Amino acid sequence: MFQAPFCLYLHCQGQRRREEEGPYTGGHAVIGFYFAKELLGSGHEVTIMTEIVSAGGRTVWGDPAEVGKAVEGATFDVVLDNNGKDLDTVRPVADWAKGAGVKQFLFISAGIYVRSDEPPHVEGDAVKASAGHVGVEKYIAEIFSSWAVFRPQYMIGSGNNKDCEEWFLDRVVRKRPVPIPGSGMQLTNIAHVRDLSTMLTLAVENPEAANTKIFNCVSDRAVTLDGMAKLCAQAAGLPVEIVHYDPKAVGIDEKKAFPFRNMHFYAEPRAAKDILGWCATTNLPEDLKERFDEYVKIGRDKKPMQFEIDDKILESLKVPVAE
Amino acid sequence: MASLVAVQQQTQPSLSILPSSLSDFNGTRLHTQLQCKRKVWQTRGALQVTASSSKNILIMGGTRFIGVFLSRLLVKEGHQVTLFTRGKAPITQQLPGESDQDFADFSSKILHLKGDRKDFDFVKSSLSAKGFDVVYDINGREADEVAPILDALPKLEQYIYCSSAGVYLKTDLLPHSETDAVDPKSRHKGKLETESLLESRAVNWTSLRPVYIYGPLNYNPVEEWFFHRLKAGRPIPIPNSGMQITQLGHVKDLAAAFVQVLGNEKATKQVFNISGEKYVTFDGLARACAKAAGFPEPDIIHYNPKEFDFGKKKAFPFRDQHFFASVDKAKHVLGWKPEFDLVKGLADSYNLDFGRGTYRKEADFSTDDLILGKSLVLQA
Repeated sequence: MFQAPFCLYLHCQGQRRREEEGPYTGGHAVIGFYFAKELLGSGHEVTIMTEIVSAGGRTVWGDPAEVGKAVEGATFDVVLDNNGKDLDTVRPVADWAKGAGVKQFLFISAGIYVRSDEPPHVEGDAVKASAGHVGVEKYIAEIFSSWAVFRPQYMIGSGNNKDCEEWFLDRVVRKRPVPIPGSGMQLTNIAHVRDLSTMLTLAVENPEAANTKIFNCVSDRAVTLDGMAKLCAQAAGLPVEIVHYDPKAVGIDEKKAFPFRNMHFYAEPRAAKDILGWCATTNLPEDLKERFDEYVKIGRDKKPMQFEIDDKILESLKVPVAE
Repeated sequence: MASLVAVQQQTQPSLSILPSSLSDFNGTRLHTQLQCKRKVWQTRGALQVTASSSKNILIMGGTRFIGVFLSRLLVKEGHQVTLFTRGKAPITQQLPGESDQDFADFSSKILHLKGDRKDFDFVKSSLSAKGFDVVYDINGREADEVAPILDALPKLEQYIYCSSAGVYLKTDLLPHSETDAVDPKSRHKGKLETESLLESRAVNWTSLRPVYIYGPLNYNPVEEWFFHRLKAGRPIPIPNSGMQITQLGHVKDLAAAFVQVLGNEKATKQVFNISGEKYVTFDGLARACAKAAGFPEPDIIHYNPKEFDFGKKKAFPFRDQHFFASVDKAKHVLGWKPEFDLVKGLADSYNLDFGRGTYRKEADFSTDDLILGKSLVLQA
């Protein structure tokens, strides 16, 4: 009889991004909500470490470094760590899991591929040796007999605490130009988080197939930065004015000015398709309509906002901003 | 003769529109996995068994590029192969690297039907007189060229068409997949109309959509354009950012795909994108050509094409946009896999053709000089 795995999921606490702060880490916290929901729907038992809206799962609070204490000695078949960014944060969890007899360790890594002339990034391509996540991936592979690593990129979905489509909508609804660095042709993956959660669930349900594998946790279509701006505007039923600029020429920190990497950041989910029989369902034109509805529902379109960096960019380009 | 097998069309998961209720927190199992008809492909690695019987095959064209490689593969497999051409180019030419023995063997077996495919009456009468099991249409451009062939061969087992990824409607969401919207106004609308005609007729058809094809004998100045400049020690002028992404597919891999769909029930009424597994930026392609041919890393100059009037000349051989297609379907459904990666493929092209001093189009650096002249002025 199939025994549904008993899963522990480590959730990353994110903070809502504010304009004056720099970009924060933990943008993929939202994966956990969908993943947990999916697993629960399939009859697994799920314990989530830290806060989550209750959907039948059990929640525990605690410091991931002391996870054993937090779960009070309960045993698990599967652990998904969506919290750690480097070996310091993940090692205590991995060590505890190993010692506690956890069968499968899943780790949400990051897009850490080395730049390439030949997109897309596929599993097996070279990664940046210096990235913290690389150390984690190596360690997990050493100590677990059943493990898998997931490399996500950008995502949209209710509960996401990192700005994605919101950044474009903030400008479009206020009839402000959308400043995009470079040519706007940069390709990136923006997936609906449900695609990521279905991939994770398939890995839990097919541990032999997933074992020792790395999975690009993205949808199967990329979008250009210009394209994303246009799709957000279309979802809102509004026009869009895109303005391109050179961050160096303007003299601003491009990381603070724009929430996406100023380069091709484009991976394909080939391993998930080949090995897990996974399918993407992200449909940006449709999904963004839903995201826009929620954006309006929470009143963000009416929220007063400052656009200091935008203004600096537009001023240097002498682009007028409608009041 | 193998009879036509009616196979339920393998539906590819298209961009599905999910009802919004699936996105709220109801704990319901997402329906997506049920909608997804993709299974882990058992056929991977196990090539479809090609028809064990020898087929009587007609290739429309076959003496210029794709067909040169395809005809060889088919003859090697034991099929009887006839090339329908006007006879302007030699029916057979020995390929660089091809042994005398192989060439003699091929030449002795290949057949020729001389004619103009635009002469529809001749096409119909000559084809019906000969009778063929399978037609490979490698050089067809317009739908009206296909009707006489179908009329002449009512018992045709399979019509295999060389279409083009140029039929896809330009989009911001990439890569192109076979289910994407097509552009009825594109330069390649003849290909689209041909595919539609095939679909509407009661014939077993298969259509392959290549992107940019390259390899020895290429008559389209794709890699040749870069090799001319590298050989001349000239900078490579690339429009705009150079990060536009394109895709090259080696002709030998395309020929192999054409063979793999022959008599393959999984290819019935299916379209497949065929090209390289990885894509490449324009700048990256310049570097790959240099690497393949053993040249030092090239000097790349970016320019704004709007600032120039090149007249009727093309300053750069690629569309100035992203243009690439996913070959996942061919890999998963047919078990096809390209043999050549980009650098290896470009090296094959260089070593067997352009590096030997052969080329199709003379080097013409006039547009380069316009660009470089202006760049120098700006720098001064």
